[in-house]
Amino acid sequence: MNIIGPDLLIFGVDDVEACKQFALDYGLTQASEHRFVALDGTGIDIYSKDDSCLPAPLETGSSIRKTIYGVADTATVDAIYDELSKDREVKRLDDGSIEAVDDMGFVLGFQVTMRKPLDMPAEKINAPGAPAQRPANETGVSKDFTPEPRTLSHVVYFVPDYKKAEAFYAERLGFITTDRFSHVGPFMRPAGTTDHHTLFFLNTPPHMKGIEHFTFHMSGPTTVVQAGNRMVEKGYQSFWGPGRHIFGSNWFWYFKSPFGCNMEFDADMDLHDDNWDAREALPGADNSQVFLLQYREKWAPMGPPPPKG
Amino acid sequence: MNQGVLLCKLDDLPDNSSRGFLPDAQGQDTVFIVRRGSKLYGYSDVCPHYGDTALPWKKDVYLDAGGDYIVCAAHGALFTPDTGECVKGPCRGDFLTPLKITVTAEQDVVLLCESRGKEQ
Repeated sequence: MNIIGPDLLIFGVDDVEACKQFALDYGLTQASEHRFVALDGTGIDIYSKDDSCLPAPLETGSSIRKTIYGVADTATVDAIYDELSKDREVKRLDDGSIEAVDDMGFVLGFQVTMRKPLDMPAEKINAPGAPAQRPANETGVSKDFTPEPRTLSHVVYFVPDYKKAEAFYAERLGFITTDRFSHVGPFMRPAGTTDHHTLFFLNTPPHMKGIEHFTFHMSGPTTVVQAGNRMVEKGYQSFWGPGRHIFGSNWFWYFKSPFGCNMEFDADMDLHDDNWDAREALPGADNSQVFLLQYREKWAPMGPPPPKG
Repeated sequence: MNQGVLLCKLDDLPDNSSRGFLPDAQGQDTVFIVRRGSKLYGYSDVCPHYGDTALPWKKDVYLDAGGDYIVCAAHGALFTPDTGECVKGPCRGDFLTPLKITVTAEQDVVLLCESRGKEQ
């Protein structure tokens, strides 16, 4: 199954205007009344939770109403249709996509991906001994900064049975487990990407089932931190970060959001192919990050003591 | 007599509003108040889910859009403003830590320090 990754997350939220403003401040671009996108066209749709056009919510009322995966071609859409039709209803929608429900109850869509190829450099660094990524006179940072999320990176679900969830995505959709936290859940990537994960599960009691967080890839660590810093300056509140994960190696900064889940900035994730053996670690703080930093308002040591008043 | 911390004037808290106070070193408030008519409900700004994270996604935004519930924005937990009980979300059945709030004759809203519990 040549599934590339998540194209679109569709939300039904309590406060539509707050979510739209949050999406803009996060750095997404408004493409239509409901849609907010990253540079490659992947993104999120924001609707009122009562909007009748949405698929029914999970019994927990989680704000995530549908996860749409982008796939390589119509042949892949058809192959997924045939596979999932073996044991469940699969709808063909007017836009050519298909819709079905996974074994946990999450509504999924599959479509020929709407993502546009990106052709732009990563954040560049210079280091002694390595060829210069930024040549002479090319500066690395500026106070002038506009966050530009590049692509929808991953989504994380609370699920009541991670083994059942993992089996569905592995056996029915061809996802591959790259690493796992014992008794918590696997990091998974679909076969059409080398990203360490586009999906992660956290095993939780059934009443928590739903979205835990979602995130977009940034150009590098500096833009994760600059984007997060800008969110704090706008009055948004950090949940976790900035820091750097161990599994996936991605830099992270999570913010609470009006979406009913956390929204993360991430960058510089590991890539894996089929020559990788999944690692396993116990969950917890020590295995979740190599370091964790915390925001502080800008400050500088500067010269002599202040004048005596 | 209790030692107290002056938080604001009663007029600074419109009906059906919420507001946070006493920011920590990271600038995140550590306590908050919800006003319902003449009643003030004060809680530690700590979600019982992890016991170590504050509730709002933005300063002072502790209520849902309809003003019916206190919300933890990390995972959408809902709490009843008058009891602090989580009625939906990860920590369903748990309670926010209540604080003792008093309004003086001068209309000062005061947090009674003996009630701060885990904040100390």
